[in-house]
Amino acid sequence: MMSLRWARLIAWKDLQVEFRSGGRLLAMIAFVVLACFLFALALDRSLVPARNVAASLAWLTILFAATTGAGRTFDTEEEDGAFRHLLLTPVSRHAIFLGKSAANLVLVWIVTILAFVALTSFLGVRDAGSIVRHGAVLLPGTIGLAAVGTFFGLMSRHSSLGDTLLPVLTFPLLVPVIFFGATASGRVLTERPWAEISGSVRLLWAFAIGFVAVGSVLFRYLAEE
Amino acid sequence: MTLSARGLVCDYGPTRALDRVDLDASGGSILAVFGPNGAGKTTLLRALSGERRPDAGEVTLNGAAVSGSDPAWRARVGLVSHRTGLYRKLTVGENLAFFGALHGINRDRQMAVQALDEVGAADLADIPVEKLSRGQRQRAALARSLLHDPDVLFLDEPFTGLDPGGASTLEAMLQVRREAATVVVLVTHDLERGLKLADRALVLRRGRRVLDTECSGREAEDLLPFFTAGGNRVE
Repeated sequence: MMSLRWARLIAWKDLQVEFRSGGRLLAMIAFVVLACFLFALALDRSLVPARNVAASLAWLTILFAATTGAGRTFDTEEEDGAFRHLLLTPVSRHAIFLGKSAANLVLVWIVTILAFVALTSFLGVRDAGSIVRHGAVLLPGTIGLAAVGTFFGLMSRHSSLGDTLLPVLTFPLLVPVIFFGATASGRVLTERPWAEISGSVRLLWAFAIGFVAVGSVLFRYLAEE
Repeated sequence: MTLSARGLVCDYGPTRALDRVDLDASGGSILAVFGPNGAGKTTLLRALSGERRPDAGEVTLNGAAVSGSDPAWRARVGLVSHRTGLYRKLTVGENLAFFGALHGINRDRQMAVQALDEVGAADLADIPVEKLSRGQRQRAALARSLLHDPDVLFLDEPFTGLDPGGASTLEAMLQVRREAATVVVLVTHDLERGLKLADRALVLRRGRRVLDTECSGREAEDLLPFFTAGGNRVE
């Protein structure tokens, strides 16, 4: 319970800092709008029905935007050495990981909603399927993205390669999330029955829980050295 | 209360930053750590506080081994460094409330104002850190570090950027901590101020302890030979 309380405090602090500075969120939003616009321009809708590819394009946009944001997760911790002081409090390392992942998740949700709205608008997809079903697919997928981004966000900070390392580390791990997420979202968009979607959603939850659990355990080794 | 280190070794790759360093710091006294750049002062502080796990040796408090992985130890440690460790977009009060809450202290504004009042900065509570001068930030950082009444206080170049008023406040706070029997370890380049404040001085050179002596009656000039080749003495 204490860890959850600490995680909540850290997430709230991160969001306060983020919404006051806005730099990371604005960059993610700008990326999403521009990427969706370019996808809409690049796609020849007379050859490829937009409804069939919108989900895949949305997931790729979310992946790239989330990675952009994840690279900046620890910027505010580093700018005046706050992370050193955070680590010297009695707070458990997994609470720090959970708190920062939760704050990242909120930002990823914002860009996810924006990506779906922007893509369906730009591609002219009407009747995009059940919002509840989209939420059921996107929730575990974005939890996985936020957890992996937070973990490797700190790892890339420790590397001389910095943010350029982040996609190299995260993309291979996120292949199953993108695959099952895009498959499930595509089926929601084309209004397939839930029985064809639920298997992918279960796998997305398995990945999300796995990423959060492994990240929580391993984060201390990253943070303390 | 005594904080001790025995045979501390810290390596950064092939470079040995600390080489079998021993020290004792007693509650109610101040230990000043001096040395030229790269001598291993900050590494020593990190090893003592538990931020960095030593490659050999151990740190004990009253004979019991302590480690940075132990939350109970971290709850007893305070740190003031030349980097303030405050979040620029939050107000000073919000920063103090945040760190206070992580230490299990009631996170209200009154608590923050009270802590700031002790360092002569009660009027800063509602100001975002990014709007403060360097000296004001350092005062706020000092208040944050003392919020949880630490048993062991580490100071890493704490006078950097402080105006004379801020430096006097810090010196007064150190006297208060001394009277409260806190173990205080101070890393500084300022030999004169360090000798004036501390009870004991330790000089590091190339990761090794080359002098460990009482400060009483010592002048800065007495220590300078130990910064270069030459002296090597433990008293």
